[in-house]
Amino acid sequence: MTSPQPAVLVIDDEVQIRRFLRAGFELEHFTVVEADAAESGLRAATLRSPDLIVVDLGLPDRDGSTVVERVRSWSDVPIIVLSVRANEDEKVRLLELGADDYVVKPFGMAELLARARAALRRHSRGNAGEPTVKIGPLMIDLAARTVSVDGTRIQLSPKEYRLLQVLAQHAGNVVTHQHLLKEVWGARHVQDAHYLRIFVRKLRQKIEKDPTQPRILVTELGVGYRLAQGAEQEDSASRGISNSS
Amino acid sequence: MLHVPRDLAAGLGDVTLRASLTSIGLALALIAVLTAALAAASFVVDVEHVTIIYLIPVLVAATRGGVVPALIAAVIGLGAAVFFFFPPLYDFYVDSPVEVVDLVLFIFVAVVTGKLAADVRQAKMRAQADALRDALIGSVSHELRTPLASIMGAASVLAQSPQIAADERLAPLARVLREETERLDSHIQNMLDATRISSDGIRPQAEWVDPCDIVNAAVAHRQNLLQKHELKVTVAEDLPLVQVDSSLVEKALGQFIENAVKYSPPASAIEITATPSPRAVRLTVSDQGAGISHDELQRIWDRFYRAPRHRDRITGSGLGLWIARALVNACGGRVEASSPGIGHGALLSIYLPVAPHPGPEHVDD
Repeated sequence: MTSPQPAVLVIDDEVQIRRFLRAGFELEHFTVVEADAAESGLRAATLRSPDLIVVDLGLPDRDGSTVVERVRSWSDVPIIVLSVRANEDEKVRLLELGADDYVVKPFGMAELLARARAALRRHSRGNAGEPTVKIGPLMIDLAARTVSVDGTRIQLSPKEYRLLQVLAQHAGNVVTHQHLLKEVWGARHVQDAHYLRIFVRKLRQKIEKDPTQPRILVTELGVGYRLAQGAEQEDSASRGISNSS
Repeated sequence: MLHVPRDLAAGLGDVTLRASLTSIGLALALIAVLTAALAAASFVVDVEHVTIIYLIPVLVAATRGGVVPALIAAVIGLGAAVFFFFPPLYDFYVDSPVEVVDLVLFIFVAVVTGKLAADVRQAKMRAQADALRDALIGSVSHELRTPLASIMGAASVLAQSPQIAADERLAPLARVLREETERLDSHIQNMLDATRISSDGIRPQAEWVDPCDIVNAAVAHRQNLLQKHELKVTVAEDLPLVQVDSSLVEKALGQFIENAVKYSPPASAIEITATPSPRAVRLTVSDQGAGISHDELQRIWDRFYRAPRHRDRITGSGLGLWIARALVNACGGRVEASSPGIGHGALLSIYLPVAPHPGPEHVDD
């Protein structure tokens, strides 16, 4: 499926946005299919079976979240949502509906491409059963259930491993607090956000060079956590920042 | 956009006055009709104890115009009842104690129902004003940000294209486009935040959050802005978790950072810290810039305040620190500023309250 030329379906009613998305994706060797409304978008999603869907939240005929919900009822194709709303609850709702990630307008093409690539990787990894996830110095072997940093194996408690495993399955994309709490502690603990905060802190102490300035397990405030793909580049770029704690 | 709430308030004022006048008119007409009907009926039945019927115009006036029109309607209605139907007829004289009790009861019931109806009406109006404000904020945000999104997106694609990336005269221009769009977007965000604050619309959503996450997010969002300064971030380990709306505090800290960048020379140091403090977590931003004089310290948190010595040299709206303070206060925290004096830099702090939380030990494995 993820052929050398992955196809992306762009659903947005603003022609100018579609225009730069087309150019941006084509520069990166994607094939682009456009739709300007939810209905035509859903039709294109069934007819063309794209490898990736980018959908705007505010469409003229119906809300973009309906597109997410409807597509998810029959397909697990990666979906990235474009949103002008900087409202955290809205983002969480979309992610719970099944969107892989979101970018908030205005955004740069590089940001969208990073999210899109991460979601495509998650999808192909799921299909191919690829067992390892590498983020900067961190290597997670999902088959052997081992974790190493710079080649040295580290010991994690079962819950810490489970937390890292769920994040690794979505490496590069955001995972909501609620999803993590449900997966690691069970549905009864969905409201117990402080468990998560404290476990993330413990996990960072084991996998991050400076746990107070994480480069691998990063926070999306009010939404969730993300294992940052491309942590290596970010790491070298931020070397100029001196740390002490 | 800053004028939205003021225009809105003025608009509502007009509506209120017009509604009062029409409601009084309506009540008067109703009183006239009722009086005529009762006068006709009085040839057949005894209508002396029907003052209660004059509550109808009172209710109408109250629901449409509020409490003052209701009182006016009550007094006129009562006058009509006494004048036309209470013996002796055609004067305002009341003789029997029963009638006096009747009238007092009437006034009492009229005042209470009038007040209740007016409260309902006001709640409805406030809800309408809120809905209107939200719609305005929403549409302003959408209308301004959609073109911005196109500009920034197009600029980022241009910057990425091999031809432009290879040309050292053009590549910086694409970067300028992106940075300036980001700046414009943050101005729009400031105006929206200011509108929300001045119309009392901040609804904090508190959640447990690690203070280090707030600091890192605030720095990450302003990476471009901070490029020219020497940044030092110090976060104490094992800070207590805080229960605040993390996005509001991040915005407030961001305002401090933007201020530090704006009022300090390139290549000077900006230091951001998160440290424990009695019953609080303290976030600070310090710079080596223009500093704050004793007089300015009294006023920097005021809306639209800008120190006269900066007005001509550094652009600004005078909203940033005011917004920061309102956001932090909404989360139950407080802000503080200090400076050794003009030219010696400034230190801005946020104190976030720390409350005990149940330990997670019992859920570990």
